[in-house]
Parts: sequence; structure tokens; C-alpha cells
Amino acid sequence: MKGGYTGKILRVNLTTKTIGKIDTAKYEEFGGGHGIGSAVFFDLVGDQLPFEAFDPRNLIIMMASPFSGTFMPGSGRCEVQGLGPMLYPVEWFGHSNFGGRFTAQLKFAGWDGIVVEGASDDPVWINIVNDKVRIESAKGIWGMDTWDTQEEISRRVIPSLKYGEWAGLAEDCYTTQVPAVVCCGPAGENKSRLGCLLHGPGSQAALCGFGGVFGSKNLKAISAIGTQDVPIADPKALMAARLWFRQFQWNVDNPREAERFGVGGPYSLISGRPSGGNVLNRELPLTPARAAACASCPRGCRMRLATGDSNESVCAGTMVVNVQGSLKFTRQGNDLMQRYGLGHWQLMPLMSYVETLAKEGVLGRGKQIDTNLPLNQPGTFAYAEALIRQIAMREGVGNDLAEGCARFAQKIGRYDKDVNSGVLSLAYWGTANHYDPAIEAEWGFGSLLGERDLMLHMMSNYPLHWMAWSGDPYLSAEEAAKLYTDAMVPYNGDVFMVDHSDGPTGIYSDSKVKQVAWIKHYEKFWVGAGGFCGWRWPMCITNNTADRRGPTPEAEPRFWNAVTGNNLTFADYMEIGHKIYTLDRSIWVLQGRHRDMEVFPDYIYDRPSVGHDMPMYIDGKWKYDKGVGRTLDRKKVEEFKTKFYKFEGYNPDNGYPTRETLEKMNLSRVADLLKSRNRLG
Amino acid sequence: MPAQKDAGNKEAAAGKRLTRRDFLVAGGTVAAVDALIAATPASAIAPAAGTEVPESRGYLVYDSRKCTGCTTCMLSCSLVHYGVQNLSRARIQIIQDSFGKFPNDLKMAPCRQCKAPVCVQSCPVGAAFIDTTNGNVRRIDSSKCIGCRTCIKMCPQQPHRTVWVVIDGQGKSSKCDLCIDTPYWEEKGGPGGKQACVETCPMMAIKFVSEMPDQEETDGYDVNLRNDHWLNLGLVDNSTVVPKQMPAWPDMGGGE
Repeated sequence: MKGGYTGKILRVNLTTKTIGKIDTAKYEEFGGGHGIGSAVFFDLVGDQLPFEAFDPRNLIIMMASPFSGTFMPGSGRCEVQGLGPMLYPVEWFGHSNFGGRFTAQLKFAGWDGIVVEGASDDPVWINIVNDKVRIESAKGIWGMDTWDTQEEISRRVIPSLKYGEWAGLAEDCYTTQVPAVVCCGPAGENKSRLGCLLHGPGSQAALCGFGGVFGSKNLKAISAIGTQDVPIADPKALMAARLWFRQFQWNVDNPREAERFGVGGPYSLISGRPSGGNVLNRELPLTPARAAACASCPRGCRMRLATGDSNESVCAGTMVVNVQGSLKFTRQGNDLMQRYGLGHWQLMPLMSYVETLAKEGVLGRGKQIDTNLPLNQPGTFAYAEALIRQIAMREGVGNDLAEGCARFAQKIGRYDKDVNSGVLSLAYWGTANHYDPAIEAEWGFGSLLGERDLMLHMMSNYPLHWMAWSGDPYLSAEEAAKLYTDAMVPYNGDVFMVDHSDGPTGIYSDSKVKQVAWIKHYEKFWVGAGGFCGWRWPMCITNNTADRRGPTPEAEPRFWNAVTGNNLTFADYMEIGHKIYTLDRSIWVLQGRHRDMEVFPDYIYDRPSVGHDMPMYIDGKWKYDKGVGRTLDRKKVEEFKTKFYKFEGYNPDNGYPTRETLEKMNLSRVADLLKSRNRLG
Repeated sequence: MPAQKDAGNKEAAAGKRLTRRDFLVAGGTVAAVDALIAATPASAIAPAAGTEVPESRGYLVYDSRKCTGCTTCMLSCSLVHYGVQNLSRARIQIIQDSFGKFPNDLKMAPCRQCKAPVCVQSCPVGAAFIDTTNGNVRRIDSSKCIGCRTCIKMCPQQPHRTVWVVIDGQGKSSKCDLCIDTPYWEEKGGPGGKQACVETCPMMAIKFVSEMPDQEETDGYDVNLRNDHWLNLGLVDNSTVVPKQMPAWPDMGGGE
């Protein structure tokens, strides 16, 4: 292993209180991050599946990538994997990731990732200082919120820590940095299925409920800090790549077409300009703030404010708790969510559902679902605080709500009715609806054929959606289709991959099959194994160049090869993504996945779309169109699935990977286990 | 640097005020500064008061309010000098508190190329030196460094800008050389050349200048590098422009 890797993965068993290592080289064929995580999960516990997420056999795998600790732009996210207690109806082998600087410090400490096994009898946290790893008592920390936990652990790791000074970790080991801590909050401690992991004030691993898994293991936190080198195979090539990449960045001193792209609105999401991820600083007088970046990100979409509230939170992390009439209280309301450690993406539909039930008279004081929540004060900070606290602490109705939307609805006997009608707008495996599957079909199919909401914002629908929605698209629909698909190696040249019509080349077509496959492969390799930010990558188009071409697909292998010393092509790496997806799918099959389960709730098919501007090929011409009123055709969706399974090398009758496919990928051991379970495709 | 040019700068240099720290150290009242300096070996005490050295022909100024804390500058620094990426090897340090309040949540700490370079003056073996052939940049020759840490103890800045690194198993001091010696970057550095941190900073928050920054205050190197494009982002010190925002959830028409 020439560069990018430290060569070892930390293995901690909380039951036996033992600490070991896994040789990273054994898993190099999976790239890093998600790929290695999936392979380790399969090897360690695959043959014991199925079991439950809160079973001590479940693993928490937190992987860095070869890019972690380097200045590869928009990389370094931490991929968290394990059985996800939030997912429904099966706690699928899931993934969630978070930004910040955790994986950078993990790599500087000398580790490519962490695998946590078993469960401790008493609350603990894991202390990583370079090669020295200790399982520490969480006495005095258990019960703290996520922010206090991180500050207290920083003090315990470096008692002499003084902000702005060098600190000695050991002989010849000095740093000015503070430990990077990731932890669960009270929600996770109480095994809430909404429990997130939080790093810093606002970087959440929100999906899958891994905070609850931390809690089930009596694991409060993991801290990492290090002073070691991340080796680089070709330093000169890496520096050259980083300088070459500047052309694709937002030029903060002289942005291209500043009046068009630099004034906010929909373009603030896709232009690459700093800040903008926090939408809660937009009233005069503005609160002075910094645009704040994750490690190595050239954008800096977050903010740190002079008031210190909503620091480093973005998007849903700044919007879920809406305290009416006050942005300040809204910032603080969302901070409560962060401090209690609740995943924003699932808290959002749950809060909405509670209000719906209250309006119906089903939930309230003395009602069928009895609660002392101050429902007569909706939209107030007091209401938000009471609801968040009760869910996190499992107080009153919060005990049932902590089971998450799907299981709560099931418990009160309304799941089928409310989900199929869309009253409770869950869409994929218990996760909230996001983009409209009837129009932006790749998002829907990509989620349905995964294990949770796709949450990959730079796949085609997102930049095209917001560009068109701006009312001033910088590319015509035809130009957008051409440019975007030019970058989609190895399927480049098929412009209809981004046709969002429901015509013969549209959302049910062979071209769409290729697009969905491309998304899953990119998701698994570049985002998953490479630790890319889903808000930055892929970049198939951009407003920051004259010809609107983005760095994809040139940048990805250029950086990867410079860091690791490999010499593969973009297409080669995408095929590794295919392999990782196939391994994930095999694990889901071991958990019971079958093609018959891969269906949307009724409302996704039947509710006419409100429409969204997207490139569509209609009557022989490209145009931006909305598709208003469109519904999904169940038969065509099933035909699409059949084509997709065949394309990926799976048996279309059941969606199981075939032996031929698995053996081509050097996954014979996976084929053997599936065969023994009678689930080989 | 030709001698006559040095002489030509003396008058201008004399007109710039020293910081309290510079004065205390250069003036020979070293023992009173703090415990670290008091612990310095007698052989490493700074030269007598009044000793003058030629000014550097280059400095890094920065805008700590523009910095996003991405640490790209630090990683660039370690890459071009050592061929690896490691924050602890970086000769510019970005220190931040994610929970802090702007602007006190972040500190940028590059070497100041001091008017009175205590690291040079105090080095007992001459490993720290003025590179007169490269614009008087204050440098450390790691092959001569004996690892006594005097320059680290004597640096008047917090954090100290001399950086302890291990090279071939030996602990050595290092410091910013304005990228004069970058084995892993084929660019001319130093005054008149390029600096890795300046070139890679995505916020353009670090700038090379030839004129000596204000020495009066510790923050004399922390300057405003923002223009109207930055103000239009609705960030620091601006209460007159509110950028158009996305409509608040859930009025987004199905997206975010």
C-alpha cells in the first residue's frame, strides 16, 4: 500500500474489553470507507445474520478513506455502517455519514477505520491518541448532551489543553488541534431509533439510528487525535491536481457571473459559494458569521455565528425545529435537537405526524394517545423543547415516539392507512420522502433499491432541479442532458439517462436503468469508499467554468491515483462500486430482502405530482417541463426493476445476486453463503 | 541580498515600532518574559540589545475572518515540504473551536518573519539563519539543527511558529521558509515566487506581501482581504445586504 492508507483498522471488542487490529491491505480491493466496511461486516458477522440492530453482535463500523487527512476537495466524511434500528420493516445493514474532521484525526492517529464489536456492561468511551487506544469509563459523561460530552472528553484527553497553544501528546508528538469526538446524546443512550451520532456542534450521521446502537453498546463516544503522517504515493501529482482543481471552485474574490450566481436563491445550493447551508441568518441585522468548512472542503457551506448558535449545522439541521417568529429561537431549537442527539431527517416527519394526530384529536391530554405535551402552544420554543426532550428521554408519549415514525404508526395501528395515504410521508424503508420519485425518478429508484433515502444531492436531479427552478438556467435542457451525461463514464453518450419524461426514453427506459446503476456505483465507490461529500460530488456540470464542464470524471481517478499510487480509470473504480453494491445487496438478501419488498407506498404511485422543472424529451425535443399530474405506473416500475436486476447481474425473479456475478467480482465466499441459505440468484 | 539594499532598508525598518514581545526579547530582558524563556540555556540567550538584522523581503498576511478552517493551507505546507500530509508538520497552524463564537472561534498562525527574529538570534549552532540570497527569509537548516528546542522556547508568538518535526528519526525544529525549499513542488518559492498555502487557500485568505506588516500589534498581520463579493454572502460585518435565501421548509416544492 503506497499511499493514502495507514495500514491498520482498529478493532475494539466492548464485551471482552480487548483491542486489536485488522490489516487494511486485506481489504484494499474494496477501496476504503464503505467498501471496506461492508467487507469487514460480511466477514465478521455475515454468517450470523439475521439478528437485530440492538443485538451485541451488531457492529459499529466507522471508516475513513484514502482521502481522509488529505486535501482532496470535498472528501473526508466518515462512513458509519451497521444494522440500522431506524430502518423499516427490517433493520437493514445501513450507512450514514458525517463531515467535520473526525476521519482526518483518525488517520493522523494512524487508523484507517474503527470496528466496534459487542457491548459493554457499563458506559464507556474510546480514547484514541495515535497508536495508544484505551476503553475509558464514561462515568460523569453518560447523561450529558452531545456538546458537553465533546468538551468534557477533550479535557480528559488533553488535560493541559489550552486553546491556541501547542499540546504534547507524547514525546515528539505535538498538535494545536483539539480531539475530534463523535458521540451519541441522551436519545442514543436511551436507544432511540432516531438517535444520531454527532461530531462538533452540527455534523450529524442522521440516518439509520446509529446513536441508538451506540447506546445499546453502552458506548458514549469515540475520540481521536493524532500527529502522524498520511503517506502520499505521488506528492507532486497530488499538488498539481489540487491546483488544477481551483478552476472548478467558486472564486470568492471574483466569482464568475457574480450577479447571476452569487446573490443567493436556488443557486446558493449548487453554485459552490461559501456559507448558505445555514438558512437561519437572513434577517437584518445579520449576525456576523464565518463560512465554516469541513476538513479540506474548498466550499465551506456551514457557518459559525457570533452568537454561537446553529454553528456548523446545515440544511435540515437548521430547519426541522421551526420556532415561529424568531430565527434566533429557531436556531436554538435546532441546537436542542443536536444536543439531545436526535436525527434531523426522521425528527422532521415525526414532528409533523404528531401535529397531524393532535389536529385529528387522536393525540392530546386525555385522548387515545395521552400526552402532556403543550399542544396548545404549537410553534413555540416551549413546545419544541418539550417534544424533543420527551422523545430523547423516552418520557410519556416520547417512549413510543422514540421508536421512530414507522414503528410508532404501526403501534397505534395506523401504519398502512397513514403511510399509503401519504399522511405520514415515509417513502423508502421508513425514511422520509424527499425528491419526487414520479419526476426525479433516479432518486426514487436509487433509494428503493438501496436501504434508505438516497441523500446524494449532486446526482443529476439536484443541480438540474435547482438550476431549472431558478428561472434562469445556465444550460438549456438539451445542453444540460448532453453535458451531464458526457461525464457519466462508462455509460457516457446516452443523453436519455437524464430524460425525466415518462415517454419511451424517460423514467422507465433502459437509459434510466443505466443512470440508476451509475448512481449506485458512484454512491458506493466515490461517495462511500472515497468519503466524498454528497453536496459536492459528483460534479458533472458547474457554473464555475466557461464551458460549464465539471471536474467529473477526470478529478476522481486523478486524485485517487496520486494519493494511493494505483493506476486505474474512472470506469475501473465504478466497477468496484458495482461490486460493493452487490455485496451490500447480498447482505440485505441474508436479512430477507426480495424484489417483492422493493415497492413504494401507495401514495408514491397514486398521488398526482405537483411537478418539478427537469429536462424532458417530449415530442422529439428537449425542454424543461414539470410533469404536473404524473403518477407512477406500477407495472412499468416492476418492468424497470426487472431490467435493472438483469443489468446488474441479479436474478430478476427475486433480485438476488447470481453466482456468476459474484464470482466475477471475487466474491465466491458470498455466493457460498447465499447458496447455503437458499438465496443465491 | 546585496548589502547596499539592506542598508537602504534600515531607516525604514527603524521607523516601524516593535511589539512589546519583540522589545522584551530583542532588548535582552529575556528572563522576565515567561517561564519557558527563563528555562532557555545560558548559551542560547539572544544577542545583545541593538543587534540588527536585515528585514525579510516577504511576509504572509492573512484574514482570519475570511478563513473557513478547512486546513488546506496546513496540508499543502506539509505536502510540499515533506511529501506527506500531516497537520503537525505544517508551518502555518489554523486553530479552531467549533463551539466558539465568531470571530474568536479561529486563529491563524503563520510565521511572521519577525523584524527581530529571535529564533535566529537565539540558535546556539547557527541552524536558524537569515537567507540573504533569498530575500532575507528567516529559515532553519535542519541538517544543522541539534534539536535543542531553543528557537521553539524563544519564539514570542502563541502558538510558537517554530514547529517540532521528526526527520529521519531525529527531532528537529522547522519554520516557514516561504516555500524556498519545497522538494515536492516544482515551483519557485520565496519572495518573488509562490507559496503553497497562498496558492491553495480556497478563500484567498492568505496573501504574500513584500512590505513589512505593522509590527505594533500582534494582529498586525491579520488584515482585511474581503471585497464586495464576500460582503454579498451576508457574512461578516455586513448588516445591509441580505442574500436571497431558499424558501423555508416545507415550502420548497418537494426539494430542499
